[in-house]
Amino acid sequence: MYKRMKRAAAVLLALACLLALTGCSSLGGSSETESVRLMVWSPSEDQSQDSGQWLQTCCENFAALHPEWDITFVYGVADEATAADTVAQDPEASADVFMYANDNITTMTDAQALAKFGGIYEEEIRSSNSDALLDSLTLDGYLYGVPYTTNTWFLYYDKSVFSEEDVKSLDAMLEKGVVSFPFTNSWYLPAFYIGNGCTLFGDGTQEELGVDFGGENAVEVTNYLIDLIANPNFVVDADGSGMAGLRDGSISAIFSGSWDYDSVKEILGDNLGAAALPTYELNGEEKQMYAYAGSKAIGVNAHSEYMVAAVELAIYLGSAECQQLHYDLRSVIPCNTELLEQEEIQNDPVVIAQNDTFDRTSILQPFVSQMGNCWTPVENMGKAIRNGSTTHDNAEEQTVAMNEAMNSDGIS
Amino acid sequence: MNKQKSAKAARTRNNILVHILLAILAAIWVFPVLWVIMTSFRAEKGSYVSTFFPKSFTLDNYVKLFTDTSILNFPKMFTNTLIIAIFSCLLSTFFLLSAAFCLSRMRFRMRKPYMNMAMILGLFPGFMSMVAVYFILKAVGLTEGNLIRLALILCYSGGSALSFQIAKGFFDTTPFAIDEAALLDGCTRWQIFTKITLPLSKPIVIYTILTSFISPWVDFIFAKVICRANADQYTVAIGLWKMLEKEYIDNWYTCFAAGAVLISIPIALLFLKLQKYYVNGMSGAVKG
Repeated sequence: MYKRMKRAAAVLLALACLLALTGCSSLGGSSETESVRLMVWSPSEDQSQDSGQWLQTCCENFAALHPEWDITFVYGVADEATAADTVAQDPEASADVFMYANDNITTMTDAQALAKFGGIYEEEIRSSNSDALLDSLTLDGYLYGVPYTTNTWFLYYDKSVFSEEDVKSLDAMLEKGVVSFPFTNSWYLPAFYIGNGCTLFGDGTQEELGVDFGGENAVEVTNYLIDLIANPNFVVDADGSGMAGLRDGSISAIFSGSWDYDSVKEILGDNLGAAALPTYELNGEEKQMYAYAGSKAIGVNAHSEYMVAAVELAIYLGSAECQQLHYDLRSVIPCNTELLEQEEIQNDPVVIAQNDTFDRTSILQPFVSQMGNCWTPVENMGKAIRNGSTTHDNAEEQTVAMNEAMNSDGIS
Repeated sequence: MNKQKSAKAARTRNNILVHILLAILAAIWVFPVLWVIMTSFRAEKGSYVSTFFPKSFTLDNYVKLFTDTSILNFPKMFTNTLIIAIFSCLLSTFFLLSAAFCLSRMRFRMRKPYMNMAMILGLFPGFMSMVAVYFILKAVGLTEGNLIRLALILCYSGGSALSFQIAKGFFDTTPFAIDEAALLDGCTRWQIFTKITLPLSKPIVIYTILTSFISPWVDFIFAKVICRANADQYTVAIGLWKMLEKEYIDNWYTCFAAGAVLISIPIALLFLKLQKYYVNGMSGAVKG
């Protein structure tokens, strides 16, 4: 009996210790009205001295604009692509303000980590951004972030090989020079299918409609791709081979995004050209390729202790002023509608290419959760065509199988 | 006479075949290593090359790794990893050998249940518990700032007493009579452990040190889960992984190879120095 009591007492004591420890950690930041502690996460380039410390500069400007708060900034590193996972892992111990890519939006809303913007804040964001861009951050009618750039891929080409007229059509390009395309990457390959009328989840948000990549139009595309890969001027870009080809001169055009701008600029110099996606000729008809597009945005943690300050900071970081600085320091392409009208920005070929792609030759990348099933089947299709295991003989069968796999979560 | 000759010829022929096979296997095995080393000295940029041998060589990748610290601070990561690995190595070696000694030399009620439990727990991969581990560390307040290093050290050394099996097997081969003689001479348990068992078991001590240094040195998962956005606490494994992300890969690929070569140096040195014990570690303490 005595022994058991002793054991129970030990357990209680251990529990008490644990409570005391957790208690301590939440005691910080108490009543002082004016002092605010904001944790801000961004990619490390935004904080590095070599590229001008964009984040620190903007945050200090923000603090100067708001003398009513005594703000302590705590900086952390999380790039847009992985921020969502890190935030969703433990929202309470995550940054108040962070930057994320919109395709991860559901990861965070599922973890209830993302604050909604409403009222005057929402109006402010809506007044300076295009509707298409805002759609990429809207879920069930709520706005979840302040966009600061678009996120998509487009065409880089060598001006000494292709003319501006050539880059409007893939077939014209293939006659004049070598084009490399990430054929086995499922972020890129659907461009051809979407171009011929294949759809993903209706308008991208109707999950119940599923994927339509299996009809007659899809089979036509598969057959087209089988012929395309046989073209000696068409090269598959995988594991960086496109960039390597551009570097040694064996390839004259690649499909990539703004993250490769510095490398391409270094290789092509003044011959650097950038354009929206070309069309391709299918059974005598010109079809437009469509990229997946999204946005990068500044989000606010729903668990933030200083909600007003965090929201104001997010809006400031996405303002025209900060976007301009972002563009000057790191060539991050702005999306603020006023800023895009400026002459300097309007003359930048990459800005034109990216925004033209976003407006004209892209669809919004669906972020419904079933989208997760769509990547591997398309990648496998690309690989099968490259390896020669999908041929004209079994194109229909393979296309239907791809469509089935895209519509299934693998558990049946 | 003829028979003898043909037997000899057959042996030579077999030897030649075996050696050719071994040479091919060795070449296949060494190829990737050689390739990483050559890539680390490659002067052409980018992640893709069309030739096996680099066209020109340079030391710039190593220089960049240590001087270009604004985006990925490799020297800091290297130091972090070294500190974490050394302390976890010391702690877990101590835990593991102590547990093995107790289980080998003492008889107590929980001995069997403990050994069974360790056996069963050992069947599960450690990272199954990583989310729980993260929240426990957070509750104790170890997931921010410099305390992250402590958190990682605790993580890597905490579970080591569960993998006592090899060391215990080794200790079991030391005769009890030696311990008893020491007890008669007035040794305490601690003295038996430090003055008799350990000196007799150098191979297994070395083996334990080696394995418990390597696991924190190369670990990725726990470091990733616990470091989160604290870039100043990153370990080498996270840094190398970052270098291969789409934004960095074109610029950092050759540096990645340089980093991979650098992290293999401490392990290689330890291994070369302690190699002769490593083989012995698998047999027993007292021979004959």
